[in-house]
Amino acid sequence: MKKIFTHGIVAGTLAAIASLIYVHVYQSALGASFNKIINSGSIVASSIFGCTLMAVGYLLLVQFKKEKFTGILNLVIVVLSFASILGPIGISLPLDIEAPELFPGLAVPLHFFPALAFFAIEPFFRQKNRNRDLTT
Amino acid sequence: MKQFSFAVLVGATLLLSAFTAINSVDWKISNNYSIKFKGTDAEGIFKTMTGGISFDANDLSASKFAVSLDVSSINTGNGMKNKHAKSDDWFDAAKYPTITFNSSKISKSKDAYLVEGTLEIHGVKKQVKIPFTFVSNTFKGNFSINRMDFGVGTMQGMSKKVSNQITLEIAVPVTQK
Repeated sequence: MKKIFTHGIVAGTLAAIASLIYVHVYQSALGASFNKIINSGSIVASSIFGCTLMAVGYLLLVQFKKEKFTGILNLVIVVLSFASILGPIGISLPLDIEAPELFPGLAVPLHFFPALAFFAIEPFFRQKNRNRDLTT
Repeated sequence: MKQFSFAVLVGATLLLSAFTAINSVDWKISNNYSIKFKGTDAEGIFKTMTGGISFDANDLSASKFAVSLDVSSINTGNGMKNKHAKSDDWFDAAKYPTITFNSSKISKSKDAYLVEGTLEIHGVKKQVKIPFTFVSNTFKGNFSINRMDFGVGTMQGMSKKVSNQITLEIAVPVTQK
């Protein structure tokens, strides 16, 4: 249980770091500023929250001995990540924000970073029984 | 001598007041103006307005508004909506790049004024009456138009979600030229 939550927290932290770097590079490159909409605190909080939620999903599978549905859970996470991009695409920003057409380009990739980070470091947090399954 | 001095004084006063009247009529539009529109499922601003305002509360017959909005400066807060609003489905900014208003008559009601004139949107000209106030060097007016009168959008498909009546809220601070 502790390992799964650690997985979530580490993945969330990595996603937050990647997101902060991306936001900085994007805004600097395009001269846009959406700091009123997305700030560092909300990026860190949502990244860690998203990855912790994924960890809870995996924890439930382990608790209910349904590890064989891990693939399905992965698919659900990917589908939810895709579905969530409708938010930044459809949002109406405050009217004093310049160039709202640049906002989806900033926000959409951020919605994939938590899942990417979670899957990328998954081998480092793989459960022992899964390793045993793979070797047999 | 006394009569001559009085005549000079009257002449000078008339001359100065004439200049004052001329100067007080013309106004320069300040940068922090606001042109908002609001309807069901449609809300935004036009960011660019140009034109001339001549207004003298004591001489309304000499007052005149001739302003123009840049359709491409529309901002709904959403990039896709902005693009759609500028497309030929709505304002057709490529063909009709400006919204213009030219006044023909200004009158005074109780605490406000009423300007009548020609509003041209989407290539369609209509006579409109716009009530407005002029307080602290700021013109403020609220009025509604029917977008269908100007052929902006349709009442079919998704466009139906946008109400016919669109309310405009205008606040234009000015400085004396």
